[in-house]
Amino acid sequence: MEPVWIVLIIVGALGLIVLFWYIATMNGLRQLEVKVNEAESGIDVALTKRFDVLSKMVETVKGYAKHEEETFMNVVKWRNNMPEELTIEQKEEFMQKMDAVQSGINVVVEQYPELKAEKVFSNLQHSITDVEEHLQASRRLYNANVSRLNSRIVTFPVSIVASKIGMNKKEFFEAEVNKRQDVDISF
Amino acid sequence: MDTILKPLNKKKKVSEIFMGTGGVVLIGGVLLFITGNTFIVMIVGAILLFIGLAYFNHVGTIFKSKVLKKHLEETIENCVYDPRKGLDKNEVMRTEFLKRPDRIKTEDYLAGELDGVKFVSSDVVLKERQVTHTSKGTRTRYVTYFHGRVFRFDFNKQFKGAVQVLESYRPKTRRNFEKVSLESIDFNKTYKTYATDAHTAFYILTPHFMESLMTLEKKHPGNLGFSFLESHLHVAIHNRKSSFSIRPFSKLDTSLLKRFDEDLNIIYDIVDDLKLNKDIFKEEE
Repeated sequence: MEPVWIVLIIVGALGLIVLFWYIATMNGLRQLEVKVNEAESGIDVALTKRFDVLSKMVETVKGYAKHEEETFMNVVKWRNNMPEELTIEQKEEFMQKMDAVQSGINVVVEQYPELKAEKVFSNLQHSITDVEEHLQASRRLYNANVSRLNSRIVTFPVSIVASKIGMNKKEFFEAEVNKRQDVDISF
Repeated sequence: MDTILKPLNKKKKVSEIFMGTGGVVLIGGVLLFITGNTFIVMIVGAILLFIGLAYFNHVGTIFKSKVLKKHLEETIENCVYDPRKGLDKNEVMRTEFLKRPDRIKTEDYLAGELDGVKFVSSDVVLKERQVTHTSKGTRTRYVTYFHGRVFRFDFNKQFKGAVQVLESYRPKTRRNFEKVSLESIDFNKTYKTYATDAHTAFYILTPHFMESLMTLEKKHPGNLGFSFLESHLHVAIHNRKSSFSIRPFSKLDTSLLKRFDEDLNIIYDIVDDLKLNKDIFKEEE
């Protein structure tokens, strides 16, 4: 066989390898992005559930907590003025606003122990704890996926594919300082 | 306690004399047989040894049913202990990470309630059949691949699907599991996590829970596996140990019960470290 043909075959084979690698890497990045988006929608679901349970809690304690009711109404107004799809930053803000209402309710409950004894309220407290755990799980899953995606797209040569398909680093869903401390693990 | 232990120690001593004499006679008999003498001595040694072992096991069973049972009933609420019974095969297979065995032996069934958390457990030995084809024919043997204790705890946190946290097992189920990486590198190095849904894995395995699973792994050497399924936590620990077996040539006394208590610590640790007794895990009244 002519040397020219051998060179052409080698170049062609290398080109095919690069093409296959490019497609595989692109698909891998897209799949990771889908996982990030799925996890983000998990946060949306958990935030909505928390909002619903919190509104029921506010309804239950409104006789005792005028201030918390007003704070919650402000959160409702804020949410109504926001677009349907919130950005990560807006979701963080939404969560922090609900945290503030929740802390207020906790203070009221400490002041009025008879509230704790109410079956409806204790069920709601149980629900809110569960909803918050789901929210934390969604947030951690989202951040774990974002961390994986971000570390892949900054690593050479995957970074070339990422920039070609216009994929950028994703934002983390940050919890406020005290929540973040809960997540720190020391073995 | 002494009124039971004293005669038991006497019986145990008799069994040990039979075992010791049988062992010596057997060795002597083997030596005689090798040097071309009669095999009768060897047979006598084997019989003595067999009688000694059988009697020793009998003493062990009496100790378990009279002394240990009472001790466990005093320690564990609603305790059910049966040295001859064990978890059935289906219960063991419900872990969904232990391979289906060709032979199974279960004993020392222990059930009860700790801090309001119900549990059942037993010692389990699982064996698989191995067939080797050689020029001299086919050889079949049964190889032990699991020897330890299997537990089932009530786990009242509501969740969808199934999650498995395994040290070196693999899921043995048709469930559509995905491998999940948690945020702790150390945890991912120690355990492999499989779940039908990543969210459920993150929901069950909170940072505190992960830390507790790491502590359990350090405290209890062996191959650990955890399976969260349908309001239950299944735990298997492969440590090549029988929990409540007595040893020959050591006295039966209260120090032995302390040793057994140490073996039972894993139950307390699972309930306490994993906070199975916390409100969120309990069913509403």
